[in-house]
Amino acid sequence: MSADSVLHIENLGHSYGKFKVIEDISLSIGKGEMSALIGPNGAGKTTFYNAISGKFKPSKGKVFLNGEDITGLPSHRIVNKGMCRSFQITNIFAELTVAENVFSPLVIQQNKHFRLHGNVFKDRQITEKAMHTLEQVGLSDRADQAVSTLAYGDKRLVEMALVLVRGPTVVLLDEPTAGMNPEETENMISLIRKLAKNSKTTFFITEHDMKVVFSLAEKIYVLHQGLLLAQGKPQDIRANEQVQEAYLGRKTHA
Amino acid sequence: MMNIQKSHSLSGPVLLTILLFIAPLVMPTYWVILLSEILIMGLMAVSFNLLLGYTGLLSFGQGAFFGIGAYSAALMLQAGHENLFLILLAGMLVPLLAALVVGFFSVRLDEIFFAMITLGFGMLFFSIAHSWIDVTGGSDGLPVFALPGLNLFGVVQLTFYAPISMYYLIFVTVLICVCLLRMIVHSPFGLILKAMRENKQRVSYAGGNVRVLRIAAFAISGAFTGLAGVLFCLFNNMATPEFMHWSFSAKPVIMSVIGGTGVFLGPLFGAGVFFILEQIIIQFTENWMFFLGIVLVPIVLFFPEGVFGTLRNKFYKVAGRGLQPPSARGKRQKNEKGTV
Repeated sequence: MSADSVLHIENLGHSYGKFKVIEDISLSIGKGEMSALIGPNGAGKTTFYNAISGKFKPSKGKVFLNGEDITGLPSHRIVNKGMCRSFQITNIFAELTVAENVFSPLVIQQNKHFRLHGNVFKDRQITEKAMHTLEQVGLSDRADQAVSTLAYGDKRLVEMALVLVRGPTVVLLDEPTAGMNPEETENMISLIRKLAKNSKTTFFITEHDMKVVFSLAEKIYVLHQGLLLAQGKPQDIRANEQVQEAYLGRKTHA
Repeated sequence: MMNIQKSHSLSGPVLLTILLFIAPLVMPTYWVILLSEILIMGLMAVSFNLLLGYTGLLSFGQGAFFGIGAYSAALMLQAGHENLFLILLAGMLVPLLAALVVGFFSVRLDEIFFAMITLGFGMLFFSIAHSWIDVTGGSDGLPVFALPGLNLFGVVQLTFYAPISMYYLIFVTVLICVCLLRMIVHSPFGLILKAMRENKQRVSYAGGNVRVLRIAAFAISGAFTGLAGVLFCLFNNMATPEFMHWSFSAKPVIMSVIGGTGVFLGPLFGAGVFFILEQIIIQFTENWMFFLGIVLVPIVLFFPEGVFGTLRNKFYKVAGRGLQPPSARGKRQKNEKGTV
């Protein structure tokens, strides 16, 4: 494990019964890097994310966050150690307002979630941080709206805000532009790029849209049938014959 | 920076408090007694709704904690402890401990499975109360002969013997509890409860331990439900196993649905509707449950947010253009900005 690796994964594998969804994945992500995980449908990207983010315990292998073994820890403990994630299917608090959505992770982070008195709306430690994040993602003018009334693209932004508001060291984004129209996609990409440039946060994203991946990532990992097929800089991945065959090639012929 | 402060109008609750304070001075005794019962069951329903309306958990075993509170009070009184504060304290702590145990085993389940396991625990406690005759008096229940009182600075003596005096003891206790519960639903903890109702997975991925948070909610709800049980035992002069039966646990469910789970005081309002309906229907027929069913169906169909919740939202729509209804749920307003 290199000294500056923030997220280090060793021989990770997960199977449902006899069916191996992911197998023997090892990778190391450096601090502040912007990496992407790609692969065709069913390659095991979401399973990989779930296994490292504590949704379930992987059947094999180890996951290290900042050098600390976090394998199989429940999700809330992994989040408290500084790794937050978004979901492919929008996963927010639908009937709460945008502000309340963003307050919630802060209440927990500041260890106020067992406080039975006081008002979050009057807690400046929370409201100021929340407003800062909402300004970052461009939702500050909608803070008091119920998120159920927002347009789809804005809901995805709430999801981003929920991930970012705690100031995590590692951010996992599972298809951040899934289901978005071209304009919303554009908007999301420039947001991610801006965030990556301005912070020391390490981003690790999965993405369907190759345009997004190649325009964002400094390093790309290719997952194919549960195995790590290749890794490298975007131009190397583009030139890699195996990858072309397994993935990119099929796309261009289609 | 724009205003994200949430306003909580207090005029309604204050008016209600004043009305409830004067009510026994102008009402016939029979109705004072009925109002006492409404307040007690209203407290049970509001405590229950901390789980259903705020945390998103349908507990079908609240009767157990109500009964445990009632038996704690009855046993203490039988043993000669007549200090009202001690009885109230014990009547909260014992159900709190019981709710911690039941919650520990139950909160990992959701929806109908949670309802069934809490119902199961409720019936377990019912069986104990029913069979452990030496302690609980079995199906006859545990009668209470000496009732506690409260001496206010040697000036006023309040007791549970006289209806009006009893009403005020109940009224003040319920008022304090409801204020505490209101404080809790507006607290940071309350926000996380609502977040869990909306999406417990996201709470977990925001760093919250859903299981521990849910156990806490369950225990708090159980403690206040137990306190309602204490009051009912003093009101009723008796603790009986019936309190723990699943049909008794259904009462706060029905009251909350009638009143509206999305509004803090909805279940209290529902308790009022429940008892007043019972009073009216019982004049014509003994089979009042049948008619309750007939009333319940249109309520569920035409008042999706409960009678109180739906009427209140209508009121805000008609009367208060600038007002926002304070609500357990987020504000439902149209997205005026349109899409991106």
